[in-house]
Amino acid sequence: MIKRSFFSLSQPRLAYDLLEPDLKEPESIPVPAILSVLLPEPIDNTKQALIKKGDAVKKGEKLKLYDDSTAYTTSPVAGTIKLFDSYSDDFGNIATFITIKADPTQVSEANTINLPPMDDIKLADQFLRKLPGAPPFEILANDEIKITTIVITGTDTDLLSTTNQFVSLKYMDEVKEGAKILKKLTQVPKFCITIPENLDTKVSFDTIEVLKISNTYPSTLPAMIMKDHLNTVMSAGQTPEDSGICFIRAEALVSLARTYKTKKAVFDKVLTIISKNGTRHRIRATIGTPLSKIFARFNININEQDRIIIGGPMRGVATYTPHHPVLADMDTVIIQDRDIIPQLSDYPCVNCGKCIRICPANIPVNMLVRYLEVDQYENAADKFDLESCIDCGLCAYVCTARIPLHQYIRLGKHELLTLRADA
Amino acid sequence: MTSTKLTVSHAPFWHDGDSLFQMNLNIILALLPATIFGIIQFGAPALGVVALSISTAMFWEFAMNLISKKALTIGDLDSAVIGMIFGIMLPATSPWWFVVVGTFVAVVIGKMIFGGIGANPFNPALIGMAVLMLSWKVMFDFDAAYVNYDFGFTALAPLAALKFKGAAAIAGLFPWENLIMGKQVGAIGSTFGLGIILGGIYLILRGYIRWEICASFIIGILLTAFCFHQANPATYGGPLLHLFSGYTLLGAFFLSTENSSSPVNKIPMFLYGFFAGVMIILMRNIGAYSDGTVLAILLLNLVNPLLDAIRPKVLGKGANNA
Ligand code: SF4
Ligand code: SF4
Repeated sequence: MIKRSFFSLSQPRLAYDLLEPDLKEPESIPVPAILSVLLPEPIDNTKQALIKKGDAVKKGEKLKLYDDSTAYTTSPVAGTIKLFDSYSDDFGNIATFITIKADPTQVSEANTINLPPMDDIKLADQFLRKLPGAPPFEILANDEIKITTIVITGTDTDLLSTTNQFVSLKYMDEVKEGAKILKKLTQVPKFCITIPENLDTKVSFDTIEVLKISNTYPSTLPAMIMKDHLNTVMSAGQTPEDSGICFIRAEALVSLARTYKTKKAVFDKVLTIISKNGTRHRIRATIGTPLSKIFARFNININEQDRIIIGGPMRGVATYTPHHPVLADMDTVIIQDRDIIPQLSDYPCVNCGKCIRICPANIPVNMLVRYLEVDQYENAADKFDLESCIDCGLCAYVCTARIPLHQYIRLGKHELLTLRADA
Repeated sequence: MTSTKLTVSHAPFWHDGDSLFQMNLNIILALLPATIFGIIQFGAPALGVVALSISTAMFWEFAMNLISKKALTIGDLDSAVIGMIFGIMLPATSPWWFVVVGTFVAVVIGKMIFGGIGANPFNPALIGMAVLMLSWKVMFDFDAAYVNYDFGFTALAPLAALKFKGAAAIAGLFPWENLIMGKQVGAIGSTFGLGIILGGIYLILRGYIRWEICASFIIGILLTAFCFHQANPATYGGPLLHLFSGYTLLGAFFLSTENSSSPVNKIPMFLYGFFAGVMIILMRNIGAYSDGTVLAILLLNLVNPLLDAIRPKVLGKGANNA
């Protein structure tokens, strides 16, 4: 954990971690006996589900709940469905998880997919949405959203993480290949790729414009990249897509290139596991693999009250189970020992002003939190710019009173959306 | 499947390690040079006053916690800081009841009834001070307080002398290098200017007080005092006399910078500090009090919410909206 420096008249500088110089192949984790995948749609008991316990599935088979569902997932292995049930995330959004028992006797030859023609983004969205790296095909295939720039992220959005850097350099040719395919699919005129500015390796991405990103947090967040490099200020409460900009992981392009090359769906996800003592393990695992299998491979012990963080220390999500599956958009998993988990408090804001100094979006966090604490979400948005927050988490990182500021903010945004939806 | 109970909470999962306890501990540390000097200068009574002030301030918070059945909060040292600042603003000869009443007003009325830490619109120590000053003005006659002391320097409180005799009469009595080294009569912790400045700079460097307020405060003092002095050097004291005497330096580094009663945005901080400085000199030169620091800062505390409404443009709002 990066502590505040002794003298801190100026703001603390949190630097992103840089990729190691020699890029070894990630270590492969064998396909486990049981896998689970998430489907972003709640179970509706009034409808007849298309899948049921005991169904045989093929590798790469599309799984959806109902006839009229738009959400789907794909089975990463051949096997049988063991179970499907509800799953709720930290804000109570309900999804469905499907547990699949792998059948090792079925060889992966069965893995055939209807490869969409290279000019049909709608079809691509129908089949390739769940590729490792989670390509945002849903956005790209949406006629109502006009994307003019695609930004490939070769930088990692959170501290400690180096997965995106690794993928974009190690598999540079496949990134370029994938970008060509994506260009054909989408016809988007402008492609850029983000690379850390102090990475001193030679990179060449042909026609893709390279954006050199500063190594100070939070410069790799979409809103900051747009502001610093694309001359576009994201309006409060909007998404990059509203400005015609779409972000895509380098790994999604690698998966795309491999899919079209091998004509098979790919399910290998590269991730970085950071153990309690800071050791990094770069691995390649099948989507759906329970994290516990990976921990076991490296003899990582998880104790009561430790924290498993999916993502990074500033923006990640803590999971409540070590059996959480590997997901298409999971880049980094950090295990935090219970002894170094910082204590939060229920103190009120003491107006020390540290959050104001550090907030990259100039939000009056000290005032904002007073409104959020008493559930005044509309006021918080109208008067104190709740929606301009870019979710960097820095305010909560520095708060002297140790208020879970960012938790209030995220909850506030969530409640605001609910309020507006109900209105 | 085994079930291990994990810690689940929201990002960020790191913290810079700072806390209220750390902050307040550092403020106490920064006050030590001036306080220790005062104790050496004014002897055991000074130690008694400071110790009583800190302990009663903490006691009042403890008692309020018990009465309101809230969690005990004295461990954050906030009341200790209030008590310490309050104590060193008193003359060393203050009687015990005076201290106890003062800390009661400071902690209970100045802080707790507004809702405790972070909710006080005024600097609590100054609330205590103001009430004592208005009720027992004579207690703050530093010249009377120290009649039995034998100092090896001009044993006159500079600001009182200035007020009642005029600048011409005291010319040469208070060279600034004497003032800054504590060769003056005043409150326990207000005389050793150098110590206060060092403590203040320490806190600024550590990021515990906002330099914008201190800097603009001092500029406000110097500029206003300079103008008055230029206009009428015989009546009005020079800028350095004002800066290094009375509560000025305490005001610049420890009083005006109290977190919850001061602004946090850039321009408001400059305005707040500057006008606090200006008000102090106006009160000293035109008003009835020889030292206007306490009332001037309270006045600025009052307008702080208005000032702090001036804030920078937020990302994604304003002219270049897409
Ligand atoms: S998380 Fe906090 S610091 Fe970051 S943009 Fe939002 S309010 Fe500002
Ligand atoms: S950092 Fe925390 S205590 Fe300080 S002003 Fe911001 S919210 Fe208040």
